[in-house]
Amino acid sequence: MNAPIIWIVFPAAFAILLLPLRNQRALSILGGGLAVALALIAQFVPIEVAMLIGPLSLKIDSTLSVLGRALIIQPTEGPLLALIYGAASLWFFGAEASKTAPRIVPLGLIITALMVASIAVQPFLFAALFIEMAVLLSIPLLTSLYSPPGRGVIRFLIYQTLAMPFILLAGWLLVGVEASPGDLALAAQSATMLGLGFAFLLAIFPLYNWVPMLMEESPPFIAGFLLWLLPTITIIFGAGFIDHYSWLRSSPQLIVALRSAGLLMIVTGGLFAAFQRHLGRIMAYGVIAETGFAILALSLDSRLGIPILFLLIPARALSLAVWSLSLTIIKEHTETMRFRESRGILRIAPFAATGILLATLSTAAFPLLAGFPAKLALWEGLSRASLTAALWMGVGIVGLLISAFRSLAVVSMAEEYTSWEPRESLMQMLMLGLGVIGLFLLGVFPQTIQFFLFNLPAMFEHLGR
Amino acid sequence: MFILITVALLSLTAFTLLILRILYPGFRYAWLVAAVGGLLAWISVFVWQAFMPTSLQLPAWQPAWLFLQAPTFLADGIGWAFSLSLITLCLAIVITAVVRSNFPSPMNWASILTLASLGVLASVADNPFTLVLIWASIDIAELVIQLRFVDDPKLSERVVIAFASRVSGTLILLWANMVSAASGTSFEFQSAPPQAGLFLVLASALRLGVFPLHLPYPSESSLRRGFGTGLRMISAATSLILLTRIPTGNIDSPLMPYLLLFVSFAALYGGWMWLRAPDELNGRPYWLIGMGSLAVAAALRGNPVGAAAWGCALLLAGGMLFLSSEPVRWLARLTLIGALILSALPLTVTATGWNTTGGNAWYAIPFLVVSQAMLLAGFIRHAQRITTRQSNEDQPIWGRNVYPIGIIFLLLTGLLLGFFGWDGALQVGTWVWGIIASLLSLGLLWLTPRLRILNPVRAHWVRPMSPSWLDWGYQVLWGLYRQLGRLSDLFTNVLEGESGIMWTLLFLALFISFFTQRAP
Repeated sequence: MNAPIIWIVFPAAFAILLLPLRNQRALSILGGGLAVALALIAQFVPIEVAMLIGPLSLKIDSTLSVLGRALIIQPTEGPLLALIYGAASLWFFGAEASKTAPRIVPLGLIITALMVASIAVQPFLFAALFIEMAVLLSIPLLTSLYSPPGRGVIRFLIYQTLAMPFILLAGWLLVGVEASPGDLALAAQSATMLGLGFAFLLAIFPLYNWVPMLMEESPPFIAGFLLWLLPTITIIFGAGFIDHYSWLRSSPQLIVALRSAGLLMIVTGGLFAAFQRHLGRIMAYGVIAETGFAILALSLDSRLGIPILFLLIPARALSLAVWSLSLTIIKEHTETMRFRESRGILRIAPFAATGILLATLSTAAFPLLAGFPAKLALWEGLSRASLTAALWMGVGIVGLLISAFRSLAVVSMAEEYTSWEPRESLMQMLMLGLGVIGLFLLGVFPQTIQFFLFNLPAMFEHLGR
Repeated sequence: MFILITVALLSLTAFTLLILRILYPGFRYAWLVAAVGGLLAWISVFVWQAFMPTSLQLPAWQPAWLFLQAPTFLADGIGWAFSLSLITLCLAIVITAVVRSNFPSPMNWASILTLASLGVLASVADNPFTLVLIWASIDIAELVIQLRFVDDPKLSERVVIAFASRVSGTLILLWANMVSAASGTSFEFQSAPPQAGLFLVLASALRLGVFPLHLPYPSESSLRRGFGTGLRMISAATSLILLTRIPTGNIDSPLMPYLLLFVSFAALYGGWMWLRAPDELNGRPYWLIGMGSLAVAAALRGNPVGAAAWGCALLLAGGMLFLSSEPVRWLARLTLIGALILSALPLTVTATGWNTTGGNAWYAIPFLVVSQAMLLAGFIRHAQRITTRQSNEDQPIWGRNVYPIGIIFLLLTGLLLGFFGWDGALQVGTWVWGIIASLLSLGLLWLTPRLRILNPVRAHWVRPMSPSWLDWGYQVLWGLYRQLGRLSDLFTNVLEGESGIMWTLLFLALFISFFTQRAP
């Protein structure tokens, strides 16, 4: 048994088998079930430890060699895999309710496997290739054979692809830095290349204009999946870089750059969200702000920042899953997701409207909701470092709250004497109901997921210790 | 533990009403269930007295190094007084519901009981973190409850404005937490740094529930009387509780004198408008402004017990007036005794209202005393105007006998708090101001029929088109918002247009050069 085979090769192969299947429910159950099974195995079955099951001795090796390169899943990375596949299962189980299962389940599984491979591959230079493969596979997920791809999809492809040469160049330069650590010019060049690569990958301001465009023209549930998976894995990949290179870790400029980038994304994401008149675009700016929060967490003392980063991940996954499913349902009942057409939708799709509102509030750190605990800890940590920076974070939060109030005003503003006529299906109500309960559960009792998160910082050698 | 019993009684009653409504829509004893539940909760609060102060800590959030505070509740004198006032109001709303035209309305009672249970939790919250969580629960509960009633799109907008206004208060409390963290201290009520004190006052003022001025059901008087009173009062009480938790001398800002003057003028405005309001329901927002300002001023003068006293008076005296709908002369006379609750005379609940600890607030006291006199005079005037009240013809016969019990409950609780159970009981206080305010209010009452300026203004719906200063403020803010929106649209169009990629790369180059310049 081999860890990369279990968590990379097997899901990808299984996904290929699912490709011809067209039954929404079967796909949803099979994809979701597999993701949950992989998450449970990752959480409970140790890697590189021999286990006796009756007469059988079972050991999961951590390494798989392919063409002279290695895919290595360290024993400490089990909880991370559990988190990734656990969160992916939210989308796969919700696929039936969003009626996108034939696309999202097989391709989503392959993309998830490729993103896991990007963390596991050694040397890390090849991670860029896995990420690019995932991006390329996202295109058939986002587009249809019957209509030309929109500008958002094209920009998504351009910006994500532009990241590749920078990451590859950075990798090449970093080899030189390792050989001669005293060469400051080389270190600066490699840091710049790395920074630009991650700026494109994470859609850091001003490189994020494809995100709202994508949300406007693509199926929200699928776009939500990609906007959760790609930045989440990229951030962890980036944290791995910081952990690996001591000169990068100890650089004061890195903290300034991370803090500035994070704040810029939170502030611009929040403020732009406040002025949008399209529910999908509000989600896009919410996603941008969420990425900003994660980058900001990396700028803190790693003993605080890394646990906060891992606390942000499940909250982001759940919020985005609820948000994108809600938008998909609303899109079923309105022509577009513009405010004009979404007026009074609360009376037609109460669960979806509630989902949108709660997900927006969760992103805006509203107490009781999933996003609150991590953002409270982040805001406090930031205040200790700089009250001015905390004030800017507050500005971003205010912007996100305004967008939530505006959405609420629009969805609740029905014509006079319009009766309540819910048109959501039972499955949609069930999935959204569970999601909303989850949002409150994570917000009121964040300790419930500590079992999964507690050991996560151990995947880094230096960070979080 | 006893805190949980009271809260459980209220919330279980609400839950039972909800279940009964769903499973047996025609169930005839819903009112009895609500009244018995409320009464049991009311009795259970007195049991707290045997164990006070008592605290209850819920499991702390993990990881512990990220979250230094745990949700904690403390039943002390002030918390007890507030909880008792809240539950009495809730019980009175249920009891007096028998004479409302919308009787029976179990969903309304369930809503009020739920809000009261959350209100009790807010009253006993022992740290800002707990209070933030409870405030958020109250906000969500109120939002759901109000959206259920609203049909008119304009009114639903008011619901959202009210929600936004309260959330802003919560956000300011969170910001106080950040200020405290920046100074290296854990944010507790007892140890809040002086810089954070001012934010606590601001948070409380924003959540007072005054914005928007009128709740979204102006035409249905039965809703405004019972249910509306509950919403308004519970919301206000849960915000004022914060003022009672600010330790003496913990508000340190050079802006303090200006803030105190501003609050005094707000009290004057509230008092004046209340005095001249056409009836008590139209004057209710001004009652909240006036009484709330007196509470805020007490907190600014370093008198948390006084702030609690004004808060309890707001609930109990206000509740008596707003729930009285029947033209019963003897009850109206009895309500006059309720004026004692507001008088700040010795051995009344507001006896400590004028105490001042440290600092010098002489410049604000005269304005505040005049405000109190106007509030008191307005209270007496509204209580006596029973000719404008119309009896509900459809009320059950037993209802006429039961209805006064609700009002009497409020009166007795108000008088009881002057003698028993908390730090503000059996106090003489700064009685001079109380006597002056009482005499002034008598003078105002004598002058009311003689001076035209003191006569009531027309009801607000008679002149809906005339914009108030508040409407003007909204217009300015809305205009500013739209201008910023245009700017944002312009920027977005540039980045997302045909030449967006080039603009993006240009911005990127600008940012890189900016950061390179700043790097050491």
